[in-house]
This record gives sequence, structure tokens and C-alpha cells, in this order.
Amino acid sequence: MQIKKGFVLREVGGETVVVPVGKMSKEFHGMINLNSTGAFLWRFYTEEHSVEDGVNALCAEYDVEEEKACADVERFVEILTRNGFAE
Amino acid sequence: MSEVEKLKIEDALLEKGVYIGPTVGVSMLPMLKNRRDTIVVRPKTEKLKRLDVALYKRGDAYILHRVLAPTDTGYIIRGDNCYSDENVPEEAVIGVLTEFFRKGKHIFCTDEKYVAYANKRLKTYKTRRFFVLIKYKIRRFCAKIFRFFFPRKQK
Repeated sequence: MQIKKGFVLREVGGETVVVPVGKMSKEFHGMINLNSTGAFLWRFYTEEHSVEDGVNALCAEYDVEEEKACADVERFVEILTRNGFAE
Repeated sequence: MSEVEKLKIEDALLEKGVYIGPTVGVSMLPMLKNRRDTIVVRPKTEKLKRLDVALYKRGDAYILHRVLAPTDTGYIIRGDNCYSDENVPEEAVIGVLTEFFRKGKHIFCTDEKYVAYANKRLKTYKTRRFFVLIKYKIRRFCAKIFRFFFPRKQK
């Protein structure tokens, strides 16, 4: 799974927000607010990776149990897929 | 990911106190390029000043242009890449540009370099307008010459 091209991460006032650019800004009108885990996973999935890769990366980055990491990654992927951000 | 929201700009300003989004249009060139750069707009808390960039509504359209001068009832406003002024009532202005990302670089509207740019943009207006008029006249003249040698076919 990989996040579609056409988004940029912006950090403003301590918050991380994803903003569409180029053609994507014609398709998506909105703000995507990310928490720190979301921002980490967003950066990670700008390249092609599997769900398992995401869980391993999250466990390596944060002090988190695999079960919790798996739930977080699955939820993240589900949101991306539902909103058409992933390919 | 905490949330994916499709908020109207006014709702984002009201609920979150900030709107962060892409730029659309060419009226603020060369500062902001269409669908490349990102704007950070916050609600207006006080009367805007000269050089501030106001976000206002004209019908259903959102417009981001620079304040030339505040008036008693609103503002005289013009885009950096525009050549006509507009009188905008106070109540139409919903926010003010506080930061932006240009080619990925984060710029605050309080930065000295930015303020110098904004001042220069206003000071060079008459010169730029003169050259734009000359450009249009040359273009129209060339079009006339072209039509003289290659007239449109009559139906």
C-alpha cells in the first residue's frame, strides 16, 4: 500500500496537517489533521509498504505493544482506503 | 491519523481557529502559485492593516488579496498580480493570512523579508501596470497585423 501523490505534510503551530496540492486539490477539499503516530505512518506510507511493515516500523519507533500497533496501522490504512488516499 | 474532515473554510476558522489549505488562482502571484503553495489563515481579531492579506468572500467565492488601505467601512484591496482595486466591506473579511508555505519554505507574515517584499510589490505597482498596458497594446497590435494577413474565413 502507498499514499497517492499530491499531498504534502505541513507543520503549523505544533500540529501536523496534510494538504492536497496540484490536481489532488481539485478532488479533495478539506483538512487532514494528524497526531504524531498518524504523521509517522503518513511519512512511512509515502513509499510502498505492507501493513506488516507499518506495524514493525511503528513498534521500532514507539514503545508500543505489537497488538496496539497493529490496531493503529489497520485503522490508519482503513481511513486512507475509505477516503481514496491510498493506491 | 486523528481525523479527516471536509470543513468549509469558515467552519475551520470557527472550530479550529485556523484554516490550512492549498492556494487556488493566480491573483497573488508571484508570492503564491496556483495549487502549489499552502496558506495558513486565522480569524480576523482586529482591524486589518496595510499590507495584511485578507481572506474575504465575494458571493460563494473565497478571495485572498492584499489590503492597500483600511477605510471606515472596510478595506481597499488588490491582489499582488491584479490591476484593479476593490472596496471590500468589513463584514466580508473572514480571516487574515498569517503564514504560508512557498515552494515548501515556511514563511511568516511578520518576517522582515516578507514585509519588504509586500512593500516593494505595492511601490512598484504603477511601473508594473505601465508595462502590462504596453504588453497588451503590443499584443493587440500584433493580432491586428495577423488578422490583416490571415483574415477569418466568412461563413
